[in-house]
Amino acid sequence: MSADEAEATDETAGDDPVDADDSPSAEGDETPAADETPAADTGETPAAAGTTHTLDGDAILRLRDLDAGYGDLQILSDIDLDVADGEYVTIVGPNGAGKSTVMKTVFGLTTYMDGVVEFEGESIHGLAPEQIIREGIGFVPQNDNVFPGLSVRENLEMGAYILDSVPEDQIEEIYDRFPILRERKEQKAGTLSGGQRQMVAMGRALMLDPDLLLLDEPSAGLAPDLVADMFDRIDRINDSGTAVLMVEQNAKEALRRCDRGYVLVNGENRYTDRGEVLLGDEDVRKDFLGG
Amino acid sequence: MGTTESSIVDAARGRPGLLLVAFLGGLLLVDLAAKLAGLSLGPIGGAISADRFGSNLWNGVVIGLVIGLAGIGLSMTYSILSFANFSHGDLLSTGAFTGWGVAFLIAGFGDIPVRSLLTVRDAGGATAGDIGAHILSTPVAILVGLLAAFAITAAVALALDRAFYKPMRDRDGISILIASIGAALIVRYAIQFVYGSDRRGVTASLDASNLAFAPLGLSVNAHELTIVVAALGLMLAMHFMLQRTKLGTAMRAMADNKDLALVTGIPAERVVTATWIIGGGLAGASGYLYVLLRGTIQFDFGWLLLLLIFAAVILGGIGSVYGAIAGGLVIGIVFTTSTIWIPSDFNEAAAFAVMITMLLLRPEGLFGGVSTA
Repeated sequence: MSADEAEATDETAGDDPVDADDSPSAEGDETPAADETPAADTGETPAAAGTTHTLDGDAILRLRDLDAGYGDLQILSDIDLDVADGEYVTIVGPNGAGKSTVMKTVFGLTTYMDGVVEFEGESIHGLAPEQIIREGIGFVPQNDNVFPGLSVRENLEMGAYILDSVPEDQIEEIYDRFPILRERKEQKAGTLSGGQRQMVAMGRALMLDPDLLLLDEPSAGLAPDLVADMFDRIDRINDSGTAVLMVEQNAKEALRRCDRGYVLVNGENRYTDRGEVLLGDEDVRKDFLGG
Repeated sequence: MGTTESSIVDAARGRPGLLLVAFLGGLLLVDLAAKLAGLSLGPIGGAISADRFGSNLWNGVVIGLVIGLAGIGLSMTYSILSFANFSHGDLLSTGAFTGWGVAFLIAGFGDIPVRSLLTVRDAGGATAGDIGAHILSTPVAILVGLLAAFAITAAVALALDRAFYKPMRDRDGISILIASIGAALIVRYAIQFVYGSDRRGVTASLDASNLAFAPLGLSVNAHELTIVVAALGLMLAMHFMLQRTKLGTAMRAMADNKDLALVTGIPAERVVTATWIIGGGLAGASGYLYVLLRGTIQFDFGWLLLLLIFAAVILGGIGSVYGAIAGGLVIGIVFTTSTIWIPSDFNEAAAFAVMITMLLLRPEGLFGGVSTA
């Protein structure tokens, strides 16, 4: 019950379109590391990590020169980002860098200002979330990502709302992927543990078998021993062919797991490269990964 | 100041308040038992018969079901659209006048001008008794009237949404609440303009209409029985819709978390439309049934009833459909049984006293935290 109440409070906080993550106040004190390294501050481009933010080949998700924010407040400027078919991409960066905003902008939940948002070769800018889901993108928001009063099964059913009938085989597939959910299918999602809720949320986003799954901080709020477990599950989702675009606080682990990583600072692209290259890059380590 | 206030609240929330309420409740029960036994221990009210107590309870259940039915829509719009809809009471009036217009049209067609029938008016010396609207003599008219009340009020609620609430969808709850007071005034005076402001009789009185339940000593009116059956039927249908259909699940999902419903792909506007149709329709049906119970109609009765409906919904835990039904029953029973101790002029006060006591002891209401489920 107390968890429910806490959720309710969270939800009200969530009504504020500006997430703590992206709030301008967070912007001010966001890069303590940058102060220690004048190189980052003066905008000199550190050499090692890549500064080309686009892919040469085809990408299923293409963002070009994207400007977006909330109301009059611009958070993102000139963001370039690609996700190839089946690719696993993470976005890392300090608080207030606009990581979650990128994701919400793909889903049309922010104020679009300028630039290109393309999915599978077509612009998805201006589409309603239900249409974007139909195009093949699933989204797992950060907090409050289950319907607490609905059973596990009902939560999954809601993920396939746009279909005419409940896709039983897809529900079975998700139960196979997360067996604990089969055991708990009649239980209200609000009574589940944090890890189980995260499974419900992912299962719901996978109901339409999306080509691209957006994950906003999947490890947030999980007990440390469950975090590796969660990353394993994401690996397996990606292995089965679904492209993943993930925002993570747990930057080291995320970069270790992903194919490519984007480092965002102040709503702009800073570095882009393969995960292990970013992990190995001295500037990236010093500035964003705590040495 | 602040500490004193919060310590009072704490005390009321904790055991002392509960003890006090339990003590007073116990006193009332003992006094009630004594009154039923024919003794007059307490300072207020004399002895009562078991029959009278039984009929008090029964009347409370009947009025409670009507209030609970009306509360469902209020609770739904609160949980799904996040505002307290002050035009809800006038939706009851809308349903009552339009529904009874249709019922009169069917019951009295041919004898009395259609215009008078549709405006629920006595015309040219004909009275409500002449039209003879009664569940026993004109059952079809009464039932079609109920359906019409549901359908027309649903349409009116939907029209109000498109005109006022939809353009304000992203505004805060207080702004929409104020707008709903405006909508309430528009509806109320539109009703007064069309139907007039006089209170008038609607149903015919039939001598044979009382069905006695001898073992319980209850004398049950056929209209009361109609109300109970209709209200329970609508509540059951509502329960089935919420728990077993995709639309109902989506309503519960939206009540739980609107932002998540959006990114899950639930078409919010379609769910909102369904919410108005069902919530408005139930309000219209309950207004129609309220008139069937009282036998009279007046343009502002829904508005006057709104406070009791709010009390029921808050008592039950605002946002919960089942809470609205339970709260309606509690309010209804308190409303009628309180007359054992106090004059019936004060029975609304008793209903609110129970609501306030309840909120002090359990601020989230009977079904609090269980949104629409």
